[in-house]
Amino acid sequence: MAATEPKGHGQHAGMWVFPDATLMTAEMGEKTKAMPRAFTLGLAVAGILFILGIVGFIARAADNGFDEIGPWGYYMAIFSMVFMVTSGAPLAAVAFRFTKSHWRRPLSRVAELFSIVGILNLLMFIPLMFLLPDIANPGEVAEGSLAVRRTIWFEGPIGAPHAWDLVGVAFLTITSMAILWLSAIPDMAECRFTATGFRRTLYSRLSGGWYGTKRQWNSQKAGLALLGAFYFMILVFMHFVISSDYAQSLIPGWKDSIFPVIYTITSLQMGLGAILVALFIMRRWGGYEGYIGKSTFWSASKVLLGITLLWVYHLFAFFITFWYGRMEIEQNIIKYLVTDTYAIIFLLNLIFSFAAPFAVLLWNPVRRSAWGPALAGVMVLFGGLMFNIRIFVGSANAAPGADLFKPIMEHVPAPVYPDIWDVFMVIGGLGATVFIYLLATRVLPVMSLWEMKEGTLYQKWGKFIRGEYLILGKPE
Amino acid sequence: MQEGKPLNSKQVNRELLVSILNSPKWFFGALAVLGLIVLIAMSTAGFMINQGFGVTGLNRPVMWGFFITNFVFWIGISHAGVMLSAILRLSKAEWRRPATRAAEILTVFSLMTAMTMPLIHTGRPWRTVYWIYTMPFVPYDYARGIWPNVRSPLVWDPSAVYTYLTSSILFVMVALIPDFAVLRDRTTGMSHRIYGMLAMGWQGNARQWKLQIIAGVLLSALILPVFVSVHSIVSWDFGMAVSVKSWHSTIFAPYFVVGAVHSGVSAVALVLIILRYIYGWQNYIRHEHIDALARLLIVVATGWFYFFVMEVIFGFYGREADEIAVRNLQFTVSPWNIWMMIFVGMTYFLPVSIWLSRSLRRNLWVMSLACIFVNIGMWLERFLIIVPGLARKQLLTFDWYTYRPTSVEWIIIVGTFALVSMLMLTIARVVPLIPLYDIKEGEILRTEIKIGRVTVPAVFRED
Amino acid sequence: MAKAPILGLFESADHAADAGDALKAAGVSPADYDFLTDTPYPEGAFGEREEPHRVYIFPFIGALIGLTVGIMLTSMTQFAYPLTQGGKPILSLPPMAVVTYESMMLTAIIFTIIGIIFESRLPAFKQGLYDTRITEGYIGVLVNVDEDQLGSTQTLLTQAGAIDVVRNDGGSAA
Repeated sequence: MAATEPKGHGQHAGMWVFPDATLMTAEMGEKTKAMPRAFTLGLAVAGILFILGIVGFIARAADNGFDEIGPWGYYMAIFSMVFMVTSGAPLAAVAFRFTKSHWRRPLSRVAELFSIVGILNLLMFIPLMFLLPDIANPGEVAEGSLAVRRTIWFEGPIGAPHAWDLVGVAFLTITSMAILWLSAIPDMAECRFTATGFRRTLYSRLSGGWYGTKRQWNSQKAGLALLGAFYFMILVFMHFVISSDYAQSLIPGWKDSIFPVIYTITSLQMGLGAILVALFIMRRWGGYEGYIGKSTFWSASKVLLGITLLWVYHLFAFFITFWYGRMEIEQNIIKYLVTDTYAIIFLLNLIFSFAAPFAVLLWNPVRRSAWGPALAGVMVLFGGLMFNIRIFVGSANAAPGADLFKPIMEHVPAPVYPDIWDVFMVIGGLGATVFIYLLATRVLPVMSLWEMKEGTLYQKWGKFIRGEYLILGKPE
Repeated sequence: MQEGKPLNSKQVNRELLVSILNSPKWFFGALAVLGLIVLIAMSTAGFMINQGFGVTGLNRPVMWGFFITNFVFWIGISHAGVMLSAILRLSKAEWRRPATRAAEILTVFSLMTAMTMPLIHTGRPWRTVYWIYTMPFVPYDYARGIWPNVRSPLVWDPSAVYTYLTSSILFVMVALIPDFAVLRDRTTGMSHRIYGMLAMGWQGNARQWKLQIIAGVLLSALILPVFVSVHSIVSWDFGMAVSVKSWHSTIFAPYFVVGAVHSGVSAVALVLIILRYIYGWQNYIRHEHIDALARLLIVVATGWFYFFVMEVIFGFYGREADEIAVRNLQFTVSPWNIWMMIFVGMTYFLPVSIWLSRSLRRNLWVMSLACIFVNIGMWLERFLIIVPGLARKQLLTFDWYTYRPTSVEWIIIVGTFALVSMLMLTIARVVPLIPLYDIKEGEILRTEIKIGRVTVPAVFRED
Repeated sequence: MAKAPILGLFESADHAADAGDALKAAGVSPADYDFLTDTPYPEGAFGEREEPHRVYIFPFIGALIGLTVGIMLTSMTQFAYPLTQGGKPILSLPPMAVVTYESMMLTAIIFTIIGIIFESRLPAFKQGLYDTRITEGYIGVLVNVDEDQLGSTQTLLTQAGAIDVVRNDGGSAA
């Protein structure tokens, strides 16, 4: 183990770890190559679920085709869930790097690796492109019907929304992969001479002429900052687009300016939750306890608590604005998505996206542990799944056929329960995410070597009068 | 991030207490001028109450104009306190140290000023007293069978504002105890006795300091949810209404909160620059602090801009005739569209372009201008939300009108700015606007790390 | 034998910590001496005793009280004025939630303040031995010892580097 004993006294016992930079590369290389039994078992289970998901998809396509969006509600939900996690997690890496915090170092690469799962996400999106109804009313514009349904694209420029959505999702995936690549260059360069097999070829090709000169480091820093800002902007935009096109605009009369914001916040919450779960697994079973101190959990869980509170706040803002006015369409939306049709799913959503993680994260000793934030992470992931089912199954089945072009949703539809293919697709999506992520951890070191080594330069343990405390360097 | 030179306690005490222990020549003159403006504004308000609302520009359908705009504006400014004090304390940003006290005090005074607006806006302010305080505790209106709407956002409003005001005052008072102790030790006579009472016998032992630190963190964590709720509830004064289409938007709550943070933090940055200049606090309010504030403002401003765009897009999304009518007024009819362009330019594009440049961030004149622009822009934002919405209320086109503020309203608005400035100047004579112990703590926790040939500034951290 | 206070003033934190070590070595209980500073030092910086507290109970109690008051106030006023406004039910939960939340937070914060002041053992109506130089940056080591040990304690403090020693009997020595 490259690490020294964890430091910290009193309530902060064991908070900080100070890994040995000289041993880091070799250890990380070994761990990347290793295929321990538990890991292969996890990979196998995830792979089986992935296959089940493909089976479910093919069966659904055979049964219903791609004409009506209604039967694909659960597919939309799992696409959205994977989209939220894979887009939200890299944002955590970008945001915490932007704030120059030191505790983020262990989680940077863990977060960025989710962008590889973004490729799956892009592939999952393609059928959705065909499923999305056109903006223009294909049938006769009857009395009380709209010629063009209400979307963020208004009259609909050429290709809207299908092509634009695809281009947007592709852009998002490419940008997150670019951030991963740029961030991984120094690590790949460092490992290219000791790696063997396909890793050696890959690292040599992808790290190019990196030798760690001052100029190269400065360019990498600037590039990460610029790409990070660009990623943030395109993420917010694509969340706005996907949440509007595949949810809001499919429920006639649902005019909700805060929904894209709720969508983004749920995505950030789930992304951070996934990162915390991954960090816990790495620390507990992956042998990374010398690299991931409790300080990372302590600080990240504060952010998760804040996001959780923000989530319920935005939900309440939506709810009370709709509830108060007593307008028929708004009352119908509330009945559909909150109190009647999907009431149980909403309750589970509220409990697992807010009440339970809040109850867990409120306590200082729990936030200081590794298991507490990870437990909250699992809860918010489940809560997010409930959110996506409620919204996307709801929107896919809100207004079948010509009802989609009515100005408002006049009747509150009944709930749509999943059949076996829906269950396969949902667990398949989750399994596929885990499967691809686990594979990705065998390709690249799961911890950012250069950031961890940089951290050892700026984080020390030192004496102050009669006590010993953390010394944090502040280079800028 | 630690550009200043080391300071010892004696120097910190001497320099930061200069506003209290010394009497600069300009002080009484400035106070007199501001006091005069406040008096004129109060007389004008009295005139308005005596003559009725006909002396203002308010008329059907624009029942809410300058006064409510100003109310929302000052509530917005009050959000700076918690943003800088609470959020930066929780994230342990070192650069918060000189900014927290001034921000918290600005919060208290801007809240108090904001509350005067609805009070004079009632037109007959004594009726407020009748609602609550009439003997024998049966509110006058209720006694005549006129029941209140207890579910209204106008009831949520005072509960939120009073909670925030009380919490902010208590937070400031508790955080001031160690500084009152310093003043107790530096003064004599009546001042010594009063500061002694306020210091409550503070000794500065380990237990008291530990509880102070806990107070800072715990109260910050408790006040943050209140801070978010206050401006959300103020926004729901508009958001709950269905008759004014452009108001009935779910995004109002976070939109207003982020806007409040934007205007509030800009106001605090301006206040810090002014304090640095008038009291000679170059050692304490350094370029690095203003730089950090500007970088924070870029993020906040961009967040605000996102919410603004969402609000406008979803305004057009429904394609409802009454909402389109409001948007038409805001974007295509002069002079509203000109105000709209000025507002967006001054609130986002101009200041953010300035803040993206490091040299401009560190130029205090330019920063002051940028912060003033932001506040003018944010005042205009509230105006452009409230008045065009009312001017095109529903599809009752016969009822559509415009709004022309009179000098009465202008004077009262200017009076509120003078009131806050006057209160800030007065309080600077009584309490230190930069927390002494916070600065001293920053000094003792300062250290260095040697990496090769370079020495990197560092801090000791407990957690 | 009655205990009496004695206060040593030190220019540097290291000398003050030396004094603390010397007092511990001399058998003075950590409960009997305090370090007085004008700024918060990290916990344990002088090797002082731990200070347990129960301040976290106060916001919980306050929140519970505020929650109860809020629910009572909002529900009782709605029942007192049973007017159907805009089709909303007489007992409307969302508006109740807003006012109850504010009431809960207000009471939690007020109780937190009370808790902080109480746990800080303030207000201290009798301040005890103190020197105004502490707020000038000097570090005070306030010791409570038996009266017959005042002399030896004064010597101990002076040897540790005190620039002045203050006693209640008006004695003061550099």
